Amino acid sequence: MENLAENRTAYTDLEPATDIPNENHYYLNMGPQHPSTHGVLRVLLEMDGEYVVDPQPVLGYGHRMQEKMAEHKNWMAFMPNTGRMDYAAALPYNHGYVALFERLCGIEVPARAEYIRVITSELNRIVSHHLWIGAMLLDMGAFTPILYTFDDREQVLDILEDVTGSRLTYCYFRVGGVCKDIDDKFVEKTRAFIKRQRERFDIYNKLVTGNIIFIKRTEGVGVISPDMARRYGVTGPVLRGSGIAYDVRKNEPYSVYPNFDFEIPVGRNGDSYDRYMVRLLEIEQSLRIIEQALDQLPEGSFLGKAPKKMKMPTGDCSFSVEAARGELTYYLVSGGGDIPYRLKIRVPSYSNLSVLPELCQGMLLSDLVAAMGSMDLVIPEIDR
Amino acid sequence: MHPATEKLVSALQDLSISVEACDYQQRGYHFEIDLEADKLRPLAECMLAREMFLGFVGGLHVKPAVEIIYQFASFERACRIVVRVPVAGDNSMPTISDIFQGANWHERETRDFYGVNFTDHPNLKPLILAEEDVDLKPLLKKDEDLKGATEVRWAVPVEEKPEVEKAEQG
Repeated sequence: MENLAENRTAYTDLEPATDIPNENHYYLNMGPQHPSTHGVLRVLLEMDGEYVVDPQPVLGYGHRMQEKMAEHKNWMAFMPNTGRMDYAAALPYNHGYVALFERLCGIEVPARAEYIRVITSELNRIVSHHLWIGAMLLDMGAFTPILYTFDDREQVLDILEDVTGSRLTYCYFRVGGVCKDIDDKFVEKTRAFIKRQRERFDIYNKLVTGNIIFIKRTEGVGVISPDMARRYGVTGPVLRGSGIAYDVRKNEPYSVYPNFDFEIPVGRNGDSYDRYMVRLLEIEQSLRIIEQALDQLPEGSFLGKAPKKMKMPTGDCSFSVEAARGELTYYLVSGGGDIPYRLKIRVPSYSNLSVLPELCQGMLLSDLVAAMGSMDLVIPEIDR
Repeated sequence: MHPATEKLVSALQDLSISVEACDYQQRGYHFEIDLEADKLRPLAECMLAREMFLGFVGGLHVKPAVEIIYQFASFERACRIVVRVPVAGDNSMPTISDIFQGANWHERETRDFYGVNFTDHPNLKPLILAEEDVDLKPLLKKDEDLKGATEVRWAVPVEEKPEVEKAEQG
């Protein structure tokens, strides 16, 4: 008990009141446990009344030192870790990791495996956007939309569970392919989902897109200019909301993405509303990709030949994929052997969140919730 | 090569920075640059002026000195550049967080993991690690694991012996 009391004093000592430059200003801790931070994130807010003077995110509550773990085991043993960073869309993380070693060691992947990877990754992207739309609206006080988006999300999670064995933290891809083939049932259920989801857009639009309260809360709130996005390295739907059509799937095409006809939706104003629209339109584009992939799905092996004990060549190698939140880059430095010498993981939410102090200066606190919500943050991904 | 990429490369060469082209299929990026710390800020300014964005900043612990790795890429075209800069003897590196504001957090993280001091950084407080773990530096390697900078460089595959020799053996 005595220790507890001591700790409490230490905690309050962290930000002594004398630090406040203006005596009318006060500090407010948003988090680490807060419904709208979706994970353990603390934002230290210097406030002037209802207005935010300086918001500073405080990170590290979910830090696991993934990069250190990668340096300490056989590179295949790190595979499950890749599914535990961005838990809302883990398959692109799987994809980047296996593709990195395929590039480094020059391993061929059967066409069918690449198609399965694209189909499941895009399903995962849709799931992530479902989760975001529900959670973002929940942050702003709308309780109903999450019931609809989670209904749709469950459909996809069931499909993915059948083939991957997990619902959230996937470890499905392998170097040289995937660990389980998809069957006719998967194809049938996925086609049924595509049809169902297209009918559901109407509900989304009626409930959210044209909702006057939602528009008033998000339009013109948290405007990220293209210049600001460049200076901070913002990527993903947050960047595309600002009108820059940057998508790794188009810019540096990987896997079989060049085989599909799809568009990159972009916004005009870079505000929270545009970021919502971009993600909503991306669901449709992902459906288009999946539809074409199912039509073209080749027969053949789902797992190519990869040596069981693989030695990496010496040198460095980089692989970027478009995760649900933006550009994910694995940068590997190998000193030979089968344990990476260094693995740097560039996660999209990290750079996206770093905009916050500049973006939200002078905002109303309630607008900060909308602006931060529109960034689609996943905290374990930022903290790694 | 894209005309804008050509212009970027010649602008870098004007700063007397040597740019090496890489095989994208093997390496996953287009150019690599080995740089001295004093040219880092001119390089970053050139990158910003030529509309590149900062992917990440990371560290790499090798002999003789920790290297800081910067990756730049373009929103408009496929152009990815890796820059390696060894830190100076006093474990310091000039900050680029006033040029690319995104570097602010990346540099704080690199200080957490490697203890590199980014000079003139506006707020070099621990970001990912706790304030009391200021001396932890978890990604520094133990002496027995530490490799030399050249040992982790891309090794050009040894070319097979010329056909002529085989013919002689036969």
